[in-house]
Amino acid sequence: MSVERPSPPPANTVSRRTFLRTLGIAGGGVVVAPAFVRTPASAQETPSPLRPDPTAKRGGTLRYAVHNAPAHFDVHQSGTVANIGPQSPMYDTLLRRHPKDGQTIIPDLAWKWDIAPDGKKYTFHLRKGVKFHDGGDFTAEDVRATYERIARPPKGVVIPRTPLFSTVGDIVVLDPHKIEFRLTEPRPRAFMLGAFASGWNILVRKKTLDEHGGNLRQVMNYPGTGPFRHVSRKDKEIWIMERNPDYWNKGLPYIDRLEVYHMFPFSPELGSAFLSGKIDYARLMDPVSWRKAKEMPGATAANFNQSVIQAFWTNMNKKPLADPRVRRAIHLAMDRHALVEVVKDTAPMQVGGFVYPFHEFSTPRAELEKRLGYQADVTPAVQEARRLMREAGYGQGIKGLDFVVRDIATFKLWAVAIQAMLKEHINVETNLRVVQTSVWFDEAAAGNFDLAISAIVSTLMDPSDYFSAWYGKDGPQNYSRWTNPAFHDLANQIERELDDVKRKALVRKAEDILEQDPPLIPVAYEQIYDAWYNKVRGQNPSTYFGIYDVVRWDTVWIAQT
Amino acid sequence: MRKYLVRRAVYAAGTLLGVSLIIFVVLRILPGDPLVAILGVEGHARMSAADRVRIMADLGLSAPLPVQYGRWLVDIGAGRLGRSFFRGDTVSELILHRGPISAEIGVLALVISWLVGLPVGILSAFRPNSVPDGVARALSVLFIAIPGFWLGMLIVLALLFWFGYKAPIVIVHVWQDPWQNLQIVIGPAVVLGLAQGAYIARMSRSCLLEVIGDDFVRTARAKGLREGLVVFRHALPNALLPVITISGVLLGFVLGGSVAVEQAFGVPGLGRALVTAVIERDIIVVQNLVLLYASIFVIINVLVDLSYAWLDPRIRYG
Repeated sequence: MSVERPSPPPANTVSRRTFLRTLGIAGGGVVVAPAFVRTPASAQETPSPLRPDPTAKRGGTLRYAVHNAPAHFDVHQSGTVANIGPQSPMYDTLLRRHPKDGQTIIPDLAWKWDIAPDGKKYTFHLRKGVKFHDGGDFTAEDVRATYERIARPPKGVVIPRTPLFSTVGDIVVLDPHKIEFRLTEPRPRAFMLGAFASGWNILVRKKTLDEHGGNLRQVMNYPGTGPFRHVSRKDKEIWIMERNPDYWNKGLPYIDRLEVYHMFPFSPELGSAFLSGKIDYARLMDPVSWRKAKEMPGATAANFNQSVIQAFWTNMNKKPLADPRVRRAIHLAMDRHALVEVVKDTAPMQVGGFVYPFHEFSTPRAELEKRLGYQADVTPAVQEARRLMREAGYGQGIKGLDFVVRDIATFKLWAVAIQAMLKEHINVETNLRVVQTSVWFDEAAAGNFDLAISAIVSTLMDPSDYFSAWYGKDGPQNYSRWTNPAFHDLANQIERELDDVKRKALVRKAEDILEQDPPLIPVAYEQIYDAWYNKVRGQNPSTYFGIYDVVRWDTVWIAQT
Repeated sequence: MRKYLVRRAVYAAGTLLGVSLIIFVVLRILPGDPLVAILGVEGHARMSAADRVRIMADLGLSAPLPVQYGRWLVDIGAGRLGRSFFRGDTVSELILHRGPISAEIGVLALVISWLVGLPVGILSAFRPNSVPDGVARALSVLFIAIPGFWLGMLIVLALLFWFGYKAPIVIVHVWQDPWQNLQIVIGPAVVLGLAQGAYIARMSRSCLLEVIGDDFVRTARAKGLREGLVVFRHALPNALLPVITISGVLLGFVLGGSVAVEQAFGVPGLGRALVTAVIERDIIVVQNLVLLYASIFVIINVLVDLSYAWLDPRIRYG
């Protein structure tokens, strides 16, 4: 293979005119250049959109309770807020969601990014002078190691976010503070940027990954660059962190100490800890305690959307359920408003269809609630359901369906209600089988059920994330084993369509298919109930979409310290 | 006596070996995949067969069952109780950190059960079919019937809504802050103690009623002793033997009951750790904690048996 060498420059002769012109340009350049050329940037010379608030008070301790203790410490391998809740404040990501609204994507350790016009290259400019908690410098090699691991996990490591980066080919370090992600084919910008801003994709040190063979499940305190540093931890009780004095975003965080208490979500224990003032901020409160907190003087209670669908699956391998008319009939036999009401004292829920009901691509709520299956008055939907059952040859109903129920309060309540609705509306008789969570997933994966109720989450609100996981032909959570070639074609188009307007139209078309041929039956969409004492300032999660991208506590401060 | 002790120790060891085998087998044959808790629902759904094999091997769960059981016994013999296969914390650390709280609850519950049960039993026995006896009997039936965890939840809610009070939410040991510690343990101890106190009241009443009809009590009264002396010096010591027996058994029930009651009060003791471990299918933690509870139960029973000889000079072990 020959390598082309650059030819030597021609010998120059400099005329007087050329000399003077060059001198003039150079002189002007000396004057103007400082405005354009910077000395090597530090973390502060590339400021974050999150500027310290001059009215905020420094100091104090935030006592925050969220979820039970994590099963391991590897955030990348996790799919639960049990990890995000306590661990996120110790780490940063490339991009992040603005803590004000929880939606706008802003720079984090990448202070700037460029996207190639063809959408196949994402170049991130990294902050300089950022240190890991163990004193190591943060460089592009750490980003590459992190994302190589996420996109192509080593053996024995399972990362739920891997599919988000399925089109990432090479990850190229251009210089110690510049890195390029080369995609094999373009993906919508919102999708890719959302993936890079995901709170799950924390940046960890290459050295850390090398030392532990790429598996951090049992490494409790691996260094991050985040606003808080690990101090101590008591399993299933508390994780204590302190302010990172070397945090790159000078002036942040405001609070000196963060105490994260592990308490089961929606539990009376969490509610009572908040109501008795033992904690300052409670996340995932049960509705009864949350309503009490709302009435409490000196406290604020907020609810916001969460990226979780509560659904039930109909096994396509069982004959009557393979018929789309039967599945649509079951879908229409649901009184969703009643189902939300049934669990209102156990967990906060809202009505929705096959696309997150609060996402811009979904059918607007007002329009959705005019559709059969979502109306407050179920009479027309039930009539249509009965007609479909007759048409499918099951006018007399179906008997003895095995209904596998996950052993969690909401599902048990719903199972009984759904059992009654199916019997009353379309004469479908079911036998409830309540099983422990791990058994449920075994049974669902093995196809040992007729009907099965549970909940699943997605990383992004973008349909391309969950369309493949939930409804895809080989989707890992397509427990129904559902296939519909027209839908799969459409999902492929949605995944590749770069124009948002066209994507939205395609998503609506996909929704229509799902309505007629349901791969699962949406029961409800979860909401999150938070409450905090008014002394906790600097955060209001009311507009958040989910709880995975927004846990950092760097902009929160305590009014009385 | 020594012979008896050796025999009891051998029986106890055999019992514990049997218990360990049952726990081990039951935990392995129960359906449910511990990897759901480890990897989360999404991670579990995306796990390949090769990943599963590798992770199970890492956790030591892919070896043949007899090998796994043998390793566990060796670990116990060496004083290692293994590690939670989720977070890598050792079970011994867990027991050392949380055990004292559960032990305090057990001991305090026993003390409360005696402090409440004995006086009530004595009062009932010496005023049979009186109003106080009726009230005492009704209350004892009530406390036996009420589930401890339910009473615990009522107490927690009442304290919260009436007084805005909740006990400390993290472990504070008695040597760190006795007052905070007492707030953690007193609720569960009272709930468990009252339930056991009801049994003790009924048992001591019936035993005393039997004893006070005996000749030696009549003789004591006939020689003009005060009623207090008759009760405490003559009747009670002779009626205590069955009460002590039942106390030993009840302490075992306190241990079992503490699992649910600790959960109701949100007390971070061993019982709660056991519940969480069951939910997470953390087999290593569950099998070691259940064996610990079984060991305590067996030891208490041996101690109760031995106490007979000390309390009743007529009993001799050979």
